[in-house]
Amino acid sequence: MRVLRALVQIAFLAGTVALMVRGLAGLTPNTCEAYCPFGGVAALFPLARYGQYTCRLTELNVSLMVSVFVLTIATKKSFCSWVCPFGTVSEWLSRAGRKVVGRSFHLPDRPDRLAMNLRYVVLVGALALTWTVWKGDLGFRAYDPFYILFTWGGHGTAAFSFYILFAILAAAVLVPFFWCRYLCPLGAVMDPLSRYGGLRIRRNPEACTDCRECDRVCPHQIPISQEIEVTARNCTNCLECVVECPEKGALELSCYGK
Amino acid sequence: MRKVIIIPTAIAVLVVAAFATANLYRVPTLVFPFEVERPAEVRSVEYIVEGVRCRGTSMGFVKMTAEIPGMISVTTYARNNSAIVEYDPTLTDPDSIREAFEALVEREGVRYQYFRALSQRDID
Ligand code: SF4
Ligand code: SF4
Repeated sequence: MRVLRALVQIAFLAGTVALMVRGLAGLTPNTCEAYCPFGGVAALFPLARYGQYTCRLTELNVSLMVSVFVLTIATKKSFCSWVCPFGTVSEWLSRAGRKVVGRSFHLPDRPDRLAMNLRYVVLVGALALTWTVWKGDLGFRAYDPFYILFTWGGHGTAAFSFYILFAILAAAVLVPFFWCRYLCPLGAVMDPLSRYGGLRIRRNPEACTDCRECDRVCPHQIPISQEIEVTARNCTNCLECVVECPEKGALELSCYGK
Repeated sequence: MRKVIIIPTAIAVLVVAAFATANLYRVPTLVFPFEVERPAEVRSVEYIVEGVRCRGTSMGFVKMTAEIPGMISVTTYARNNSAIVEYDPTLTDPDSIREAFEALVEREGVRYQYFRALSQRDID
């Protein structure tokens, strides 16, 4: 399972890095922005209001956005742990951090839940500014770690963009999925769909010995050992809990409980 | 755990579906009607212009086109670098527009070289 997921992650990361290298070498005017599903979300208002796109957004952003929504309805937030190149970088950094520091850090329960709502603030702020102050320009790109990293300071970024990027990457070393968990606006859009996602982790209480290994390894602090079915909006179907569970048949992937 | 294969399969299918559906519809990046009276007959020509890559560069294209007589409107599609120009056939024709445009590109210098038209296609 881990190998399969890693292969898919590497494929998407390699594609994104290849695009970045070609862009930096001046071989293509395209950047990762052309393939970003959040671009589809940013395009919705000008499309509905003026029937035109914003900035560099095109049909591909809108179609990829729809695909990500369908994927989320089918498989929860698997986009985050299987596809998103920034999610992959965050995951690898936090793994490296655990190796070096010996542990990862989590906010206590209540502040953690409050901080997760920051994603909605980022979402509303990014869209509102794009459609008003930035007048259709994707000004958000100067603050978007995905864009800054995979264009290495492309059009619209500034020196402060790199400070933001390095701060977020440094935070990801200590706090698993710092950006994804607390700030990613695409994650916020996926939240309501993910709650009803069909493909979920299911715990069989008969086989489970309540060792809580699953709770310990879940990068999103989901209390799996207390659930029968994981419906939590932030489950990314990374399957770490299933891989680490010592009891055969205690945790499985299920499709709406089947 | 055979169900795990559902995830990469769904990802592959949905990525292919996104690329396929993106080619099924076309929404303009910019629609810019010039402030002129619409003549009785209007014709259109499509230019593929490498420099038309976004809304900003589309505006740059419009700014230059505005200097050419007989222009009615410009509609751009950044995804395929397309600029559809509506013109008054009593005042100009696709070749003259292209020549006038390339003269403007020449005048503006290196900064606008990427606005050279790569191809043109009469629509009417
Ligand atoms: S790791 Fe497996 S056995 Fe342990 S609590 Fe979780 S489901 Fe139960
Ligand atoms: S460890 Fe299990 S519950 Fe936690 S995010 Fe991954 S799949 Fe979901």
